[in-house]
Amino acid sequence: MVSASAQKSPGFLRGYLFSLDHKVIGIQYTLTGLLFLLLGFTIMTMMRWQLAHPGLPIPLVGGWFGQTRAPQGIMLPEFYNSLGAMHGTIMVFLGVVPVAVGGFGNFLIPLQIGAPDMAFPKLNLASYWCYAAAGLVMLASFLVPGGAAQSGWTSYPPLSVINQGAQAWWLVGMLLLITSSLLGSLNFITTIVQMRAPGLTFGRLPFFIWAQLVTSFLLLLAFPPLEAAAFFQLMDRVAGTSFFLPTGLVVSGRVLHNAGGGNPLLWQHLFWFLAHPEVYVLILPAMGIVSEIIANNTRKPLYGYRALVGSTLTIGFMSMVVWAHHMYITGMGTTMSSFFQTTTILISIPSVVILTCLFLSLWGASIRFTVPMLFALAFLPMFGLGGLTGLPLGMAPAGLHLHDTYYVIAHFHYIVAPGTIFALFAGVYYWYPKATGRQMNERLGQLHFAGTFVCMNLIFMPMFIQGLAGMNRRLYDGGALYAMNHDVLWLHLLISRAAWTMAVFQVPFMVNVVLSLRAPRTADDNPWQATTLEWAAASPPGHGNFRVPPHAYRGPYEYSVPGAAADYTPQFAPAGE
Amino acid sequence: MEIPYAIEVRPDTGTYNARLAMWLFLASEAMLFGALFSAYVLLRTGADVWPRGPERLNVTLGSINTVLILAASASLAVARRAFLAQHAGRARAAIGAAAAAACGFLALKLFEYREHVLAGDVPARDNFFATYYVLTGVHALHVVGGILVLVYLLLTRPGPAPSATARYQHRLDVTLMYWYFVDAVWLILFVSIYLR
Repeated sequence: MVSASAQKSPGFLRGYLFSLDHKVIGIQYTLTGLLFLLLGFTIMTMMRWQLAHPGLPIPLVGGWFGQTRAPQGIMLPEFYNSLGAMHGTIMVFLGVVPVAVGGFGNFLIPLQIGAPDMAFPKLNLASYWCYAAAGLVMLASFLVPGGAAQSGWTSYPPLSVINQGAQAWWLVGMLLLITSSLLGSLNFITTIVQMRAPGLTFGRLPFFIWAQLVTSFLLLLAFPPLEAAAFFQLMDRVAGTSFFLPTGLVVSGRVLHNAGGGNPLLWQHLFWFLAHPEVYVLILPAMGIVSEIIANNTRKPLYGYRALVGSTLTIGFMSMVVWAHHMYITGMGTTMSSFFQTTTILISIPSVVILTCLFLSLWGASIRFTVPMLFALAFLPMFGLGGLTGLPLGMAPAGLHLHDTYYVIAHFHYIVAPGTIFALFAGVYYWYPKATGRQMNERLGQLHFAGTFVCMNLIFMPMFIQGLAGMNRRLYDGGALYAMNHDVLWLHLLISRAAWTMAVFQVPFMVNVVLSLRAPRTADDNPWQATTLEWAAASPPGHGNFRVPPHAYRGPYEYSVPGAAADYTPQFAPAGE
Repeated sequence: MEIPYAIEVRPDTGTYNARLAMWLFLASEAMLFGALFSAYVLLRTGADVWPRGPERLNVTLGSINTVLILAASASLAVARRAFLAQHAGRARAAIGAAAAAACGFLALKLFEYREHVLAGDVPARDNFFATYYVLTGVHALHVVGGILVLVYLLLTRPGPAPSATARYQHRLDVTLMYWYFVDAVWLILFVSIYLR
């Protein structure tokens, strides 16, 4: 376990940059991912300027982008499009998943299962640096002539193949990212299956671990089709092939001189085969984090452990057979459409079961309103709203009208932003003492929460209204050209101001994360009086994690056990204590 | 720090870490080649005209390649058996033979590509050649990866300790699993692209 003899200190490179320790790698993923989230957010604040004040020069930084992107500081449509495509790409692939899976997964899985590290530490190192390389490629793509990728994060051909800009860079970045993800998922699954501590049966695993296990299977099996598709599109862009270009394609009035015979729908199928399971990759770790925090701050077991696990496994399987609900407008015919509508409605059931179990966990609880708990509690109705608004989208008659409108943007942002990202914030506040030995400041956390919660709703609620009016996504003028949008155009200004305000409320969080590191190390092993195995280790744990190899004696949520001395009985405390 | 079950088998799962990881990896690879293959099927069935494999491709060269890639795996199976019987020298020779056969496969593949390019059959020519190059090319990249692993196995002599021997045996085992998969993919590609 933890090396008793102090090994020679490894130095900066082997200790912090190229460490084999899962905790260091987890923190690397978290910090890099948080930085990308900040970048994606900044990109959005710039887009919001164009939507709120179309045609006006971007204040302060407008002059930085040059003649090809923002002449006289006024954003060009192509620049708006590349900001949109990269906002989505960066947030989903470089921000949320690396923090939720690479960060929290890496840091917590070995600790929560009582293992000294991941099964393959060198593979872990490789997967982080593959991700970092992917990030660098995506960042560099902004400097390429023609601009960054600008065909949406969905990169639909033929546009993505014939468009100017750094689409090929985007594709290479995705190939690197998919490699990183694959190596990571191999590691996570093997570790969870093979390296659980004695006594830790599958039925005693914290729900967080189940969530990460299913997430890893989704990443393992769903990403390869996108890898294939990215390879095809890369060939189309650089080698002149026609995997996705149909015969006789007319571009700007002229027929394209390519071989033809390709199928744009082929891309859509391959893309969404990944991208639907991807949305469950975005939400399952968040549900795992929120569940741990709710159990701890209600001082009672989670309601319905078996329902939670069964629902998660069901979601995993079903997520692979719903993808074409993103493609209802492609003219698929009623048979195919009925199939996908059915599977889509069915998959909403386990999602509701999970949310219901979490709500029921609050019943009769002794709630501690710590900052992690504030975010975890807010997650529940926010995810609920996002999920429920998905139902009209899943049913083709309504989905056909709402497709590609602001309603869709509102739906998925409610799930990812005040949903997943709130869970990630909650997780940072909750596990910060374990990772650093220090507590974060409570007041700054409350300020961060209150401002962010209000602003999130001011940003995304009006978008439902805009979408129902018919306002399309990805329009540089915010839909001003269409008469049907005129009554809801004014909401752009409200939303933008809420977004800029929300930016200000992230400052207390950033300050808190950095300055709390300088506080004295007051956190002991188990500052939250929690029950799972990570709280048996020191704060922060040394290499090898545990002073003595831990043993699991009971389930993960033994809170308020009748007759026990304290209101919690940790998994790692021997029977009779 | 010792990683548990890297060498010894975990009783309740019945396997050691690397073997589980290789099964998972192969599942993922099956999804990758499945996607590539599905795309091929979609494009071919949706096309008005699609040449037959023997009309455009050299079936003889493809057949030789089939023999070479199967020989590589067969050699590696011999190596694994030999190492198990503690004939380390024989095992190394067999690994070398496997690597040589695989290199022969690649050399022939590159020769084939060159012949095609010189004849004007480039990926951009039509979707027949586009799918031919991408599917066999991705497969060839996997052969390259496999050769790198074989070279690594040749260069790393296991030490005398039983744990080192066991670790090396495990590496042979999982590498052989990988090569069987590479074989299977080639057979499917050969039949569906060269022969149909």
